[in-house]
Amino acid sequence: MRITAPVKAAAQRLTLPFLIFVSAMLVVFGKTDALLYDGLRVAMVDRIAPVLQAVSEPFVTVTGVFQAVADAVAVHRENVELREENARLLQWQEVARSLAAENAELRELAKLVPEDVVNSIATRVIADSGGAFARNVLVNAGQNEGVQRGQAAMTGVGLVGRVAEVGSHTARVLLLTDLNSHIPVEFEESHVRAILDGDNSEEPRLVYLPPKTEVKVGMRVVTGGSGGVFPPGLPVGVVSSVSGDLIRVEPYAELARLELLRIVDFGLSGVLPQSAVPAPKATGRGGRSADAAR
Amino acid sequence: MPFALSRDVGYSLRFVPFVTTLLFAVFSVVPLNLPGFAVVTPAFALMAVFHWTVYRPDLMPLSAVFVTGLLLDLLNGTPYVGLSALALLGGRTVVMGQRQFFVNRTFPVVWLGFCIVAAATFAFFWIVVSILHGAVLGLRPFVFQAVLTVACYPVGSYILAWAHRILVART
Repeated sequence: MRITAPVKAAAQRLTLPFLIFVSAMLVVFGKTDALLYDGLRVAMVDRIAPVLQAVSEPFVTVTGVFQAVADAVAVHRENVELREENARLLQWQEVARSLAAENAELRELAKLVPEDVVNSIATRVIADSGGAFARNVLVNAGQNEGVQRGQAAMTGVGLVGRVAEVGSHTARVLLLTDLNSHIPVEFEESHVRAILDGDNSEEPRLVYLPPKTEVKVGMRVVTGGSGGVFPPGLPVGVVSSVSGDLIRVEPYAELARLELLRIVDFGLSGVLPQSAVPAPKATGRGGRSADAAR
Repeated sequence: MPFALSRDVGYSLRFVPFVTTLLFAVFSVVPLNLPGFAVVTPAFALMAVFHWTVYRPDLMPLSAVFVTGLLLDLLNGTPYVGLSALALLGGRTVVMGQRQFFVNRTFPVVWLGFCIVAAATFAFFWIVVSILHGAVLGLRPFVFQAVLTVACYPVGSYILAWAHRILVART
């Protein structure tokens, strides 16, 4: 069928306003219902994951080469540092051994209930949002591997964030630094509770501290048990700056360069809106609000 | 009329701009993990949309720009789906309006043009995300990503120009 020239011209003129309108509406709808696009996003990311994995593979190699060069340059200085550190750590090892023995004895005496077994899933980062206003990463494990929404993601040194979306073989981890990340934490020593709020900068802020809490640079921050999402005591970071009400925490994990993550299942269900009750398939917004009302 | 140009290109090659743009979009979420390369990566999709709008707007229609933007938004995992689509559509419209300043100019002039477009795009992101989030966000990551994007444009443009040469050579 041939379309007449005037109709075609009119359609062409209207394309831009139409597409701009659609885009703007998508943004507005997304703002009113934050979960609207979850299903679509997860489905698409699952499909595209093999591509992402294939593309990121050579970069792992390239990164390895860069790292090898950097290591070779720094080898002498690092060697000296490591020797010193090794000597120091050997002393700590002695201390840890005696403490572990003492701890075992005390546990025996107090008849302490043994802690739950922790399952962890090792995953590789296959995509990194890398945007100016989003801090999240995609990992190559999902529902099929046992990943669930709300689980903690860690590197060897500390908490990275929590699982926000799960596909069948991918999952998205919202980093501590993301605008939408709010994690209950506490100070390791005083157990004073607070919330660690991401604000898009490299160092998240501590908010909702009780008034007149004494905070000093260098204080260690760990996850707090409140909310039942994470078990208490996972290492998060150290207070890096205090200026008036603005307290910033430097995460232990190097969030800018994440390669391998451990998704940890502590068997806690906790307060997990929307994910606690899996939404029935092919239900619109009505279905979800019915869940929320329950 | 630029839309008539597409007749000179073979059917399969018509999709070179769109496909390279999609690839650039995917590439922008690949973790580079290079030492010193911070959290943000350059906005590769913006480079591609700009490049093709300047050199072959007939092969980079609005619908292709829209789809690229949506793909980027879904890949990014931000709650603001549609935002990149809006920004890219805006960018394309501005470039189309000012095309006569870019065509047949030396690379530095085009680069300067890209610099302005990138600055405007990231200013737009900063303002809109601040409004949507209900708080003024720190400018630093936005400025940083804009600078990184502009700095990487020559490389991106080189790759696209190479794809463009194939497109021309085969037709």
